[in-house]
Amino acid sequence: MTDKRSDLKKIIMDTKTLPTLPGVIQKLNTLSDNDKSSVQEMAKIVSSDQVLSARILRLANSPSYGFYRVSTISNAMILLGVNVVKSLALSSSIFAIMEKDSVGLWEHSLGVGVAANLIARKLGLPECEEIATAGLLHDIGKVIIPLKCSEAEKTIQKLIYERQIFTMEAEREIIDTDHAEVGGWLSKSWFLPDKLSEPIAFHHDVAKSENHRIKTAVVHIADVLIKASGFGNSGDCFVPSIQKIAWDALKLNEQLLAELVDEVEDKLVEVKNFSLEMMSE
Amino acid sequence: MQKIPLMLAKAGMTIARDVFRGDSPIGIPICGKGTLLTDSLIARFDNMDVQSIYVEGHPVWEEGERSFDDILHELDGRFIKTLQEPLNAMLYDIYKSYLIKSMGGDSDRQAE
Repeated sequence: MTDKRSDLKKIIMDTKTLPTLPGVIQKLNTLSDNDKSSVQEMAKIVSSDQVLSARILRLANSPSYGFYRVSTISNAMILLGVNVVKSLALSSSIFAIMEKDSVGLWEHSLGVGVAANLIARKLGLPECEEIATAGLLHDIGKVIIPLKCSEAEKTIQKLIYERQIFTMEAEREIIDTDHAEVGGWLSKSWFLPDKLSEPIAFHHDVAKSENHRIKTAVVHIADVLIKASGFGNSGDCFVPSIQKIAWDALKLNEQLLAELVDEVEDKLVEVKNFSLEMMSE
Repeated sequence: MQKIPLMLAKAGMTIARDVFRGDSPIGIPICGKGTLLTDSLIARFDNMDVQSIYVEGHPVWEEGERSFDDILHELDGRFIKTLQEPLNAMLYDIYKSYLIKSMGGDSDRQAE
């Protein structure tokens, strides 16, 4: 491992907090102040934000709690209790400095979460909620890279724009690693279960996923679908190749894909409404 | 007919399909099709957790005046790197026909 890469890995392993969108925090605070709001309502807001979800899962999986690997938001919220989630949301507001251009990445993540859920349900796969969470968190590496190496991030953006290449190619060239690997490191150091960390780390290289290949394949296809629809912004605007191994693992065919496109696009109208609501707060 | 996010609904649009509560999409409709939208009606839908509605015509155009050609052009741009691969080419064709179907073709836009 080269110096640049191991330095970055060390920094990421030490990362305890990530900034999230102010709109999400505000909405959660309003809900927690209202006696009439339910855990379900809070869970819905939490699972719309990749950063807050990651933080709650980190807490639920921390060795001090001693729970056995928690992989869904709703389980984590039930185990931690509403009060802990409340205080986590409040403490997040201190770090709520995510910029406006992060909205695109947030929309992309939310879109992939929704698409992953639709694919999993359509194929009748077990653990749909875990797959949706993995989809939501798949680009968490893209949240952390600009934060930990803001100079390198500027060069990466410049490279994507000038040479019209994939985000990943630019990342490899500048920081000698990529957002998938970085996301994998983060999820390992936060003790997230394999069923989440594998799809995060290998959503661009499904063949490397050994224990949770189906879940990784769903997240990969969901990512491709959202990139194809042009919803949100994940750095570059190019649709990645559909990996044959993912296609075969899910036993997809043309008709299924066409139905999925219809369903995903239909659902994205609602996701758009949600994101418009968030931004107007 | 177009499915739009409730946040983009405006008074004066006409509902094209019955509206259901957000938490019980197969329950009793809360508003019938053909109703003219008003601001208070939109606020009520919002309270009932309605996320999206179907309206007559195609009143909402994303990001200003993107024509159908522009939308197809953007689709081409997104697929520029991977269109030579058979699976991606398949997805491209599916998306293209989806867009043509959902926009009602170019003629719909001209007519409005």
